[in-house]
Amino acid sequence: MASLSQLIKRFLDRPGSVDLAPFERVVAEAGRREERVKALDELPKPSMDDLAEFCAIAREAARRTIGLRPYDVQLVGTLALLAGNVAEMATGEGKTLSGALAAAGYALQGKRVHVISVNDYLARRDAEWMGPLYAALGVGVGWIGQVSTPEERRAAYQKDVTYGSVSEIGFDVLRDRLVTDPADLVVPEPHVALIDEADSVLVDEARVPLVLAGATDPGDAVPAAAALVRRLVRGYHYEIDEQGRNVYLTARGTDTVEQALGGGNLYDAPHTVSEINLALHAHALLTKDVDYIVRDGRVQLINHSRGRVALLQRWPDGLQAAVEAKEALPASETGEILDSITIQGLITRYPEKCGMTGTAVAVGEQLREFYDLKVAVIPPNKPCVRVDEPDVLYATVTDRDAALVAKITEIHKTGRPVLIGTLDVAESERLALNLQGRGLECVVLNAKNDAEEAEIIARAGERGRITVSTQMAGRGTDIKLGEGVAELGGLYVIGSGRHASSRLDDQLRGRAGRQGDPGGSVFYVSLEDDLISRFAPDEHLPSADRDGVVRNRRGPQIVGHAQRVAEGANLEIHRNTWRYTRLLEHQRSLVLERRDKVLHGDVAADAFAAADPGRWKTLVEEVGEPVAREAARQIVLYQIDHHWTAHVAFLSDLREGIHLRVLGRMNPLDEFHRESVTAYRSLMESIETASLEMWRQATITKDGLDHEATGTRRPTATWTYMVQENPFGTALDRILSRLKKTLQ
Amino acid sequence: MLTAITRAFRTPDLRKKLLFTLGIIALFRLGSVLPTPGVNAENVRRCLEQAQAGDAGNIYGMVQLFSGGALLKLSVFALGIMPYITASIILQLLVVVIPRLEALKKEGQAGTAKITQYTRYLTIGLAVLQSTAFVALARTGQLFPQCQEDVLLNDEVFTVVTMVITMTAGTAVIMWLGELITDRGVGNGMSLLIFTQVIAVFPSELLNIYRQSAFTFAAVMVVGVFMIAAVVFVEQAQRRIPVQYAKRMVGRRMYGGTSTYIPLKVNQAGIIPVIFASSLLYLPQLLTTLFATSENPNVVIQWISENLVTGDTPVYMITFFLLIVFFTYFYVSITFNPVEVADNMKKYGGFIPGIRPGRPTAEYLNYVLTRLTAPGALYLGLISMVPIVALAVAGASQNFPFGGTSILIMVGVGLDTVKQIESQLQQRNYEGFLK
Repeated sequence: MASLSQLIKRFLDRPGSVDLAPFERVVAEAGRREERVKALDELPKPSMDDLAEFCAIAREAARRTIGLRPYDVQLVGTLALLAGNVAEMATGEGKTLSGALAAAGYALQGKRVHVISVNDYLARRDAEWMGPLYAALGVGVGWIGQVSTPEERRAAYQKDVTYGSVSEIGFDVLRDRLVTDPADLVVPEPHVALIDEADSVLVDEARVPLVLAGATDPGDAVPAAAALVRRLVRGYHYEIDEQGRNVYLTARGTDTVEQALGGGNLYDAPHTVSEINLALHAHALLTKDVDYIVRDGRVQLINHSRGRVALLQRWPDGLQAAVEAKEALPASETGEILDSITIQGLITRYPEKCGMTGTAVAVGEQLREFYDLKVAVIPPNKPCVRVDEPDVLYATVTDRDAALVAKITEIHKTGRPVLIGTLDVAESERLALNLQGRGLECVVLNAKNDAEEAEIIARAGERGRITVSTQMAGRGTDIKLGEGVAELGGLYVIGSGRHASSRLDDQLRGRAGRQGDPGGSVFYVSLEDDLISRFAPDEHLPSADRDGVVRNRRGPQIVGHAQRVAEGANLEIHRNTWRYTRLLEHQRSLVLERRDKVLHGDVAADAFAAADPGRWKTLVEEVGEPVAREAARQIVLYQIDHHWTAHVAFLSDLREGIHLRVLGRMNPLDEFHRESVTAYRSLMESIETASLEMWRQATITKDGLDHEATGTRRPTATWTYMVQENPFGTALDRILSRLKKTLQ
Repeated sequence: MLTAITRAFRTPDLRKKLLFTLGIIALFRLGSVLPTPGVNAENVRRCLEQAQAGDAGNIYGMVQLFSGGALLKLSVFALGIMPYITASIILQLLVVVIPRLEALKKEGQAGTAKITQYTRYLTIGLAVLQSTAFVALARTGQLFPQCQEDVLLNDEVFTVVTMVITMTAGTAVIMWLGELITDRGVGNGMSLLIFTQVIAVFPSELLNIYRQSAFTFAAVMVVGVFMIAAVVFVEQAQRRIPVQYAKRMVGRRMYGGTSTYIPLKVNQAGIIPVIFASSLLYLPQLLTTLFATSENPNVVIQWISENLVTGDTPVYMITFFLLIVFFTYFYVSITFNPVEVADNMKKYGGFIPGIRPGRPTAEYLNYVLTRLTAPGALYLGLISMVPIVALAVAGASQNFPFGGTSILIMVGVGLDTVKQIESQLQQRNYEGFLK
């Protein structure tokens, strides 16, 4: 029976209030059929008309193939997924199995399922692990990763169920939009998206769109600019804003740069300003081993929310070259944005969607606002007995680090395995070095040794292990306890600082205490942490006691406040990304509609034949009709893609300065829409004119269109960007902030 | 503009939004004429006629303007949106003063939602206070000092309490209606409701003028249309200062010159200076009513009551004009802080071509702004003077409907709403150029 408060919540449609009773009845019925199904020699292919029978057969199939008998709550989770909800299941409750059964259920309904996860490691692990189960149910399964070839991808997508990370699937969709031959298409018509770690994919990753870039020119790194900014001093020549996102020259810095460049007003030469700004950005804001690592003579970006290297990711607009110049590496080629898609745009392509995660209720409102998804809270099979200790707060990083090492030493003495979650690569290495200096043996898991990930995780629960990790181990990883560890109290998780979102904290804690195992967790926080200096810079910080510990009640309040500010800021970024790209995606879909007609038909050739019958006739006589048709298609496709690229560049430029419109009491978003619609109108016209122009001039031989003149671009690199809408606030905000400054 | 609206009506979901908005506005007007239970509607009408003949309508000035005449009618929506506006302003001020509220605001959407909730509670509180005050005034006959009729049916406690509850509930409903328009209709709900109340009095006032003299009516209409056109023209005028963002290298392509700019409006201040000036000029009136007793003819009070109470004296006109010019400069200097804008641009890598970021940029912006505000201030002053001058010239006794404030509100809200409709229309109407 649902309690009264549950009913009220459901009436108010609060997140996490989906009624589980119907699912529970089905699972109870499946339980009654368990013995009968167990006795069968061969399992029949289940029919999806009888969900109880499906559950019973699926449970037996899982028991026989992978040796796991799904608990009742796992089957409830499966049914919640099949009903199109986001299932919140506590960490370690066997989401993977619930999800696989749901995916199989959708597949048995004749639908194609994409199981979308946060990274390649999880995609591959789950696909291979669940493979036998799918086989027993008569469902085909495949997976894709960063290194998959187009052929492997195509094969994987042809299966009933395909596992892949959100960015891989997104980039496949983007690449498909640029193919010039229908045979090159990779991703089939979307049916069902089943999203693993739904909050991470749908909320955290959705802050920035997936952007596909193509190489255009060899890079022009500016070693001179890199050398010049290296001489500049922070605070004297340049300043960094409190959020740590922007860097700018001071008047003295400008003087120095102007002198070094041989005098003259720097701001008469926008190009040089860009060079200097980029070099300065690379120099002052991007830190080696925090934002990127240098491996095999290349700069590789680290994705902060995952703590992993993003192989195909780059910084936009010359910043990549500036970082390469800073590290004295040869410049890689520069590119331009070919196309982009938001996570919303990607996910809403699927007519049916569902998801699962350990932390869904916290983002329930957003899941509903952006994806129209509801949250179903699945109860745990066994209650969680993990002991979550309150945060230990220190005034300084030095005190915190010392206490952290002391705590690790203390726990390690008892033989309990310890997992330390750090915030970046550099910190994980510093801590490991520190521990080794004290004779404590530890294993490091970070973006640099991601190859050993599976091995390290497999042993992290063994007696006496110390594992220092970044965000990599924060999600999805299943740490099994070694022999005798449960008696010692299970895995002990220590966070070396709170994350930008309480969900990430909860996920890290969730590595311990899985399936009713014992476990413990604690966070060692310092008031000097980035989180606090970035998001609560104006707070008056309480002082520490003699031992460096902050016991003042204000301390935890400030930490919580900083975290909520960070969450709010990220939500704003998410919403702005969505607001500003919605129109772009609409325009893109219209362009794609046309492009598809050209790609799959003879629209281009017919149009040319009608517009310039003379040229068409001569050509057909010269090279034959099929070649002429193909050449026409290639020309129009090229022009569509080329103009779209220019359109996207124009819009991102427009967006960068659109917040200034607020100063004229205009709505930046409306202004952005107005101008982008105007630009779109002229885009359509110029595609036609330019295509016809090119058609008249193109060299077309019996071998087809001479590509030398056009030059086809292949997308090779990807990157992301962010936008700030209104840093000025409303007029009232400005008045009040003036007032406040006057008062103080 | 008209084509935009007809096209909007042809777009299904936009039509739905427009009809929804119109429906809400109709509901709002209905509540504004619906008398509160316990009011003697017949007597109120008689008192209102008397008051219009006299000058009593001016007492509540801005409040009466924003309530579209609902206030003195003692209708269900008598209090209008003023309690909500007041509550918003109070909360905004409190955010500056109370650290806990400031912390909430910084926490983004979740925090802002809480502040909005507090604003609603405060609105209800203010509504209780204001409705009690008005009902008390009505009960003692002070609402219409010249009128002898009883505006309430009786003065039992039950009646009074019912009226207070009704008006308070009315205010809550108005708040909800406004939010509904913002969420599901077109335009900003609160602005549109003010707009509605401002133009709601036009028909009756114009009718009054027409009854007096057809010629005056024609003249008023011509002047009105001319003024609206002038206001639309000036409100759209802006000076664009080009800005370049140099954080990126986008090949050899050069954008930004045309699409990235700071739009400085000729009337950068909007309507606020006029409201400030009128409010300030209300003080002498208050002063004389408080201190001018016939037994104590103070020279200063005497002079004030001769020159600053009614709008037909040169002193009043000049003072009003100068105050508007002053407040325009004052308000622009507060809302547009060149130093802050320059700092922000510097932070994000923006600069005005040829001008150094930081102080030189701030100085340049200040230079342009100061010169641009001069015509802006003159324009505001002149527009606001028109009704007063017209009053003096024509010697007309009734309110001139096209008051400066009314026209500025009308045009401002009107332009914003039409722009928003147009923008939504553009986003939907792609069919036209799709093959």
